Amino acid sequence: MVEILLHYGFMQRALIAGVIIGLISPIVGVFLVVRRLSLIADALAHVTLSGVAAGLLLQKYVAAFAMVSPLYMGMAFSMVASVFVEQLRRLYRSYQELAIPVILSGGIGLGVVLISAANGFNVDVAGYLFGSILAVGKSEILAIVGAGLFVLVIVFLFYKELFALSFDEESAVYAGIPRHGINLLFSLAVALVITASIRVVGILLVSGLITLPVAASLQLANSFKQAIVYAVIFAQISVLAGLVAAFYLDWASGGTIVLVAVGILLCVMGMKRLIIWMRKRQDNLTTG
Amino acid sequence: MATWMGVKSIENVLELTGIYFSYENQTVLEDVSLSLQRGEFLGLVGPNGSGKSTLLKIALGSYRPDRGEVRLFEQPIRRFRQWSRIGYVSQKANSFNLGFPATVWEVVASGLYGKMGLFRRFNKAHRIKVDEVIEKVGLTPYASRNIGKLSGGQQQRAFIARALVSDPELLILDEPTVGVDAHSAEQFYKLLSHYHREQGLSLILVTHDVGAVTTYIDRVACLNRRIHFHGDSQEFVAQQQKILSDSYGHEVQVVEHDH
Ligand SMILES: Nc1ncnc2c1ncn2[C@@H]1O[C@H](COP(=O)(O)OP(=O)(O)OP(=O)(O)O)[C@@H](O)[C@H]1O
Ligand SMILES: [Mg+2]
Repeated sequence: MVEILLHYGFMQRALIAGVIIGLISPIVGVFLVVRRLSLIADALAHVTLSGVAAGLLLQKYVAAFAMVSPLYMGMAFSMVASVFVEQLRRLYRSYQELAIPVILSGGIGLGVVLISAANGFNVDVAGYLFGSILAVGKSEILAIVGAGLFVLVIVFLFYKELFALSFDEESAVYAGIPRHGINLLFSLAVALVITASIRVVGILLVSGLITLPVAASLQLANSFKQAIVYAVIFAQISVLAGLVAAFYLDWASGGTIVLVAVGILLCVMGMKRLIIWMRKRQDNLTTG
Repeated sequence: MATWMGVKSIENVLELTGIYFSYENQTVLEDVSLSLQRGEFLGLVGPNGSGKSTLLKIALGSYRPDRGEVRLFEQPIRRFRQWSRIGYVSQKANSFNLGFPATVWEVVASGLYGKMGLFRRFNKAHRIKVDEVIEKVGLTPYASRNIGKLSGGQQQRAFIARALVSDPELLILDEPTVGVDAHSAEQFYKLLSHYHREQGLSLILVTHDVGAVTTYIDRVACLNRRIHFHGDSQEFVAQQQKILSDSYGHEVQVVEHDH
């Protein structure tokens, strides 16, 4: 079965992209979720959409951009927006989540305007909305690998600072951890993860891949390291099982991947309930 | 650690002179001067809203006073960079997200991250240090428990351990024993007292529980917008009634002025 899958070049690329995304999305996701910023992913994804629209517009009217993937424009937009999110967070210290609707609606507004200004594209915008992992090209794979490496290096180098800032930003700052620099680098990493994930799950489902495996992992994790490891395992299962199922059943890959992730979350929650229930029952039996 | 023993002349760890501070249109601190010598254990008391937490934040450089000077370890605060010499446990320390996936060990270890600096990896010596501090605060059996699943008093001890793990010379605690039962609070003061006497740690402790601490602290400062008393704890005990009615008596003095 695996040989059949790997026989196809597009499937190989899809698997590589999926495995990388399934690694970096949950890692970044753990930090976002514990900082109660998981919706930032959604907001940045919508900004990326407007970037992609701008890229498509340029492709249509400027000859020099004809061969440039609009995803690069999306990446640039979401990186700028992520810097903006940091500024907003600084401005509204006690309403940090306010940055999310501001960026989200701004992103959608701009995207819709740009798409309407282009008067329709010959490229399918739906591919960006819902993902089209099976159509990932060779140059895009390189970009995804690059983004993946960047994100891994950032998290590896600044793990301690990211942990301290996520757990207790105030104390971390008093201890001399450079908050603004680290937060900025991290937002750039988030922007990269989102752009890289768009091909795999699509703009509308990006935050699903970032948060669902983390939601499941938080049910089980005791320590922060465990939270990361479990989230990565759940994300990998989702991506691989989702891709294979999508291939054989001819379903939309992004949706299938996210559905598997939802399924895992439900299973984990159910199993946890069951274990607690059984323990209680055992206690009752032994104590009479 | 040896440095403090070798120093002959008395060094001021913290020195606040003529501090004025206001939030928007409300004056919170007026001409506050306060100093802490190396090895001193100061109790800072005052009613709710008297400006204690604000004063500490000014001392830690997160607010800039309207007037007055702050010196840390004999350096003006704007030139001071060695933040790891100061440990701080804020009043809100245990209002963290209770579902946070971190063990007591991970939380305590994070107290070293600022001091270690960027790009440094955690090594064996760091690990031993974390184990030691956890042992000192009596949390060894809970080291690998999730921090959210500890009792309030145990969490408080974990936060103290996080502040102590980087071997600070000055420890600033903003109402650390709120919600801790009398017995645990007693244990907690004994622990602080141990660090104070054995290692010459300088301490500032904000508390409403004046009676409980007078046996452990050297000096008391009583704040209510101004400093109403600053002196030895015996002296404070002797004149307690007068001082407290002086500063607490008319409750918090709020001065509004519009501009
Ligand atoms: N961020 C803020 N913005 C505006 N006013 C503030 C702020 N923080 C505190 N205040 C005001 O400053 C005054 C002093 O507050 P502060 O927190 O320093 O008091 P405190 O002595 O620590 O009180 P408590 O014993 O309740 O902790 C209060 O009147 C409070 O209303
Ligand atoms: Mg206070």
